[in-house]
Amino acid sequence: MGYCNGNEPQAKDLAQDVFVKVWDNLKTFRKDSSISTWIYRITVNTCLVHIREAKKLKFSKKLPIDLESKFEIVKENQENRFQQLYKCINKLTADNKAIILLELEGLQQKEIAEVMGLKHEAVRVRIHRIKKELTKCVKQ
Amino acid sequence: MKNFEDIKAQWENQGDIKPPVNGIETIINKTNALKNGQRITNSILAVTAGLLIIFFFYVKAYLEVKATIALSLMILVIFIRIALEIISLNTLKHINFAEDNQRFKNRLLRYYKKRLRTHYIFTPIILLFYIVGFVMLMPYFKMSLSKGFYTYIQISGCVIISVGLFLLFKVIKKELLSIKQLMN
Repeated sequence: MGYCNGNEPQAKDLAQDVFVKVWDNLKTFRKDSSISTWIYRITVNTCLVHIREAKKLKFSKKLPIDLESKFEIVKENQENRFQQLYKCINKLTADNKAIILLELEGLQQKEIAEVMGLKHEAVRVRIHRIKKELTKCVKQ
Repeated sequence: MKNFEDIKAQWENQGDIKPPVNGIETIINKTNALKNGQRITNSILAVTAGLLIIFFFYVKAYLEVKATIALSLMILVIFIRIALEIISLNTLKHINFAEDNQRFKNRLLRYYKKRLRTHYIFTPIILLFYIVGFVMLMPYFKMSLSKGFYTYIQISGCVIISVGLFLLFKVIKKELLSIKQLMN
């Protein structure tokens, strides 16, 4: 969702592309890493290729259905906050965007390092910096 | 939002996208559609090549040296362009999406730079040779076609070349943007 600025149909299309690649490459999975890390790698790389279509990405005007029903009263406020959050994530570089989205998804820093091909320490430092940057941007 | 924990809490509130009921079926269908699409593209290219060769013999272009050279040149450059595109698509297809992001990014960057070289060097040369072949054929068109049809060929030729140049410009712009985004 983060890569698609909350646009659910685009997120679904992207998810479908990821699973097509997983399906196609399943025989090449060597169990060097866990299957989840392997799938996350394919996901991040598919999203990276997707930036070619970045111009077509529009901010979603609607909240995900679940959220809409849960917070009917504060809908507008929530909508603005989400749009602001997506906007701030979108301002990050491709690497930083991938790292923070993986962090938001709850991945361990070690796993993020494996997905990104970076050292654990480098990821730790970067996450600290991106968190600060993102918080500052969202507050504005 | 005071800190990153608030952002994370908000993120988790997003709610998951529900997986479609017939997800596996959709993925299998999409994979098959992609493979069929490639087969169709290859068939269309083969038919185009066949038609061009038939046309070459049908108009007896081989009887005139200049016409033979002109038509061969046009056919040859079309084939070279198609071959370059197929090679390029295959390169992208064979990039391993399961590699770590840094390696994948480097490969993708090399791929786009190579494509850019193709657009900057080979495509203009190909277009130039195509135009040369087309211009060489003009006297034959003038000789054998009616004035109206000859004018139509002249105008449509110019339009096709202009559209080609415009598309080339658009593609270069798009590839440059991709490289810029990857290098960020």
